[in-house]
Amino acid sequence: MSGQNGGSGRARLTGLVARREYLRTVRRRGYIFGTLLLPIGIAVLMGVSVFFSTSGFEGTDGEASGTIVVVNESDVTINEFQTALASLETTTEQDAAARLQSGEISEYYVVPAGFREDGVVTRVETGSGFDISRLEGAENNEALLRYVVRDALLREAGVPDEAIARVLQGVSVNVVTVEGEEVSGADIAAGIALPMVFVAIFMISIFMTSGYLLQSVTEEKENRVVEIVLSSIPATPLMAGKVLGLGGAGLTQVGVWVLSALVAIPLLSSQVPDLGPIELDLTMLVLALTYFILGYLAYGAIFAAIGAIAPGNREAQQYSGFLGFAAAMPFIVFSVFLSDLSSPVVLALALFPLTTPTAMLIVLGISDGIPWTLVGASLTTLSLFAVLATFASARIFRATVMLYGVRPSLQQLVAAVRSPR
Amino acid sequence: MSQPAVDVRGVWKRYGDTDVVSDLSFDVHPGEVLGFLGPNGSGKTTTMRMILDIVRPARGHIEVFGEAPGVEHQERVGYLPEDRGLYRDVKIIDTLTYFGALRGMSRKAAHDKAMALMTEMELADAAEKKAAELSRGMHQKAQLIATILNDPELLIVDEPFQGLDPVNADMLKGVVRGQKERGAAVIMSTHDMGDAQTLCDRILLIDKGHRLLYGTVDQVRAAFSDGAVEVSGAGLPESADGLDSVTDVHDVNDAVRYLIADGRTPQELFRELAASGAEVEHFAVQAPSLDEIFIRTVAGDPRAEAVR
Repeated sequence: MSGQNGGSGRARLTGLVARREYLRTVRRRGYIFGTLLLPIGIAVLMGVSVFFSTSGFEGTDGEASGTIVVVNESDVTINEFQTALASLETTTEQDAAARLQSGEISEYYVVPAGFREDGVVTRVETGSGFDISRLEGAENNEALLRYVVRDALLREAGVPDEAIARVLQGVSVNVVTVEGEEVSGADIAAGIALPMVFVAIFMISIFMTSGYLLQSVTEEKENRVVEIVLSSIPATPLMAGKVLGLGGAGLTQVGVWVLSALVAIPLLSSQVPDLGPIELDLTMLVLALTYFILGYLAYGAIFAAIGAIAPGNREAQQYSGFLGFAAAMPFIVFSVFLSDLSSPVVLALALFPLTTPTAMLIVLGISDGIPWTLVGASLTTLSLFAVLATFASARIFRATVMLYGVRPSLQQLVAAVRSPR
Repeated sequence: MSQPAVDVRGVWKRYGDTDVVSDLSFDVHPGEVLGFLGPNGSGKTTTMRMILDIVRPARGHIEVFGEAPGVEHQERVGYLPEDRGLYRDVKIIDTLTYFGALRGMSRKAAHDKAMALMTEMELADAAEKKAAELSRGMHQKAQLIATILNDPELLIVDEPFQGLDPVNADMLKGVVRGQKERGAAVIMSTHDMGDAQTLCDRILLIDKGHRLLYGTVDQVRAAFSDGAVEVSGAGLPESADGLDSVTDVHDVNDAVRYLIADGRTPQELFRELAASGAEVEHFAVQAPSLDEIFIRTVAGDPRAEAVR
C-alpha cells in the first residue's frame, strides 16, 4: 500500500469527516424537527388566520351591532337613533334590568346623574363568564356610545356641525416617503418585525449548529472514540471536517427556513392587505449569510474548544450557555438600535466579534440602506476573530481532548494555544 | 535486517515541568512483537501517541517506515488505544466502515472487509446493532476489528487484553499472533508479564520515561538469572568436587540445583556433567519470571544495566 500526499490526504480526510457529520446531523430527529418546525409553524399560523377570517369573527369587524340600551339619568341629551347595523334606545333602569333578566339583551349602559363631573358610564351585564365575541361587541358598542355622548355635549356647547364632525373623526397622519410613496403602519411594523424574525432565525441556527459541533466533540470524547479517530486524522482536518459538515447542516436549515419565509411572505401579504408587498433584498441576503457563516465559525470554534475542555456534555452545555448571553445582548438593547443607529453602543456591539452577527443583522434589518463602512469594519473584525478562534481552538482541542474526566488549568490552555503540539 | 517499521531515537517529551519521556530509543521490525512494559504513568501511551503523530516530541527523532510520522502513514497503521470506545448510537458496521475509510480504504472495501472479519469473529449478527446494544466482549471484538481492518503494517495496541474474559482474550491473542505472522510490526503495551513472555519477541521496559530494559525475553531473563541451573537425571554429582564451573550444589525435590561460579556458563556445566558420566534428562537455567524482573528493575536492580 503506498503512502499518499499529505495535502490531498488531509483534504480527503476532511471531506470524509464533513460528509459523515453532515449526514449524521441531518438524519437526527432533533434536527429534522427543528428544521421543519418553522415552516410547519408558518403553515399552522396561516391556517389559523384563514380559519378565523372565514369564521364567525367576521361580524366583529369594528362595527357596532344589535341594540344598545342606555339608561340616561344625567341631564345630557342622548338621542335615540337607528342604523342598518345598530340602534340606540333609551329606557328606564327597571325596563333595562327586566330585559336583561329575560335574555332579550346581554347588557345595558347607565349614564349616571353625575356624568358631567366624572364622565363615568356603567355597563351592566349578566355574569356568564368570559366570551371573547361579546367582549368585542361591547367594545364596539362603547365606542358608539362615546361618539353619541360627545356629539351631544358638543352640540349643547353650540359647536358647528363641521367642527363636531372633525372632532369626532379625529386627526389621522398619512406617512409618505420623500419620493411621495405612502408608508402604511403595517409597512413600518414589517420593517422592524421582519428583520427581527430573520435575525432570530439566523441566530437560532448559529447556536443550534454550534451546539451540534459541541455535541459532536463531547460525544467522541465521552465515547472514547477520539483517540482512534486522531490516530487516523490530525486534529486540524478533523476539526475542519466537523466545522464544514455541521456548517453545511446549519446552512441547509437556514436554507429551508429562508425558503419557507420566501414562500410564506407573499401568501401572508395576500392575507393581510395592509401589509403591502414585502421584498427581500439579494444583497442583504448575501450579507446575512456571510454574517451567519462567520458567526458560526466564531461561535463554532469556541464551542468546539469548550467541548474539548469540558469533562462531559453537561458541563460543556453549561459553559456554552454564557455565549448565548453575548449573542442576545443586541436584542436586550434593541431600543438603542431603533433610536440611533450611529450610537457608540451600536458601534461597539457591531464590532465586538461575539455580538457582531446579531448586531449587524439587526442593523441591516432596520437601517434605510446598507452602512457599508460598518459592514466592512465588522466583517473584518469578525473574520479575524473567526480565524484566530479556529486556530486557537484546534490547538486547545488537540491538547485537551484526550484528558478524560480532567478539566485543564488556565495555564495548560495558554500553553496549548502557544504550542504547536 | 529489514528496515524497522518504527525507529525511535533519543526522544523526549515534557508536559508542564515533568519529562514524561526521557531520551528514549528503540525500534520495531516487521514480523516482530515488541512488548512495551512499564508501570502506570511511565510514558508508554505518550510514546505510542508520538509514533502516531497525535503528539510530537520535544526533542529526538522518530521514523515510521523510514519517514517522519504523519497522516501519510495512516493507511498502513492500526491503533487500539487503552481508552477506547465506539459511537454508541451508530450501527457497528457503519462505525467500522467509517474507521476503514479514515484509514484510506474505499467505503465499499471497508464495509466488505468489516463484514468478513465480523463473520470470522462470530460478530456478524451484531453488524446492524448499535454499540449501546452490545456486550463488553462484543465491543472489544469490534474495536479490534476496527484496528486491523486495513491490514496494517504497523499495529500499536495499548493493553489489548485488559478486562477480557479468557475466551475472548485467547481469541484476540490469536489475532495479534496472526498479524505478526502476516508480517506486521506490533507494539503491544501490557501489564501482564505472561502475555509479554508468550507473545513478544523483544520487550522494552520503561519507568518515568526512562528505558530500563530492552532486549529479547531470553536475554532479559538471562541477565537476571541467579546463576542457578536445575538438572534432573541419573548419576548426577551431588557435590561441587570435580566441577570447576560450580560453587555449590543442593538437592531440590527430584532434581539437583547447581550454582554456577562467577565467569562460568551453564554450557560449561553441561559439558562437565556429560564428562562425569551422568545421564541428563532435564537441564534448565533458573531465571526469574518477567514479573519478578519488572519489580526488581523498577526497584533499581543493577543487573538491568546489562540489557538496558
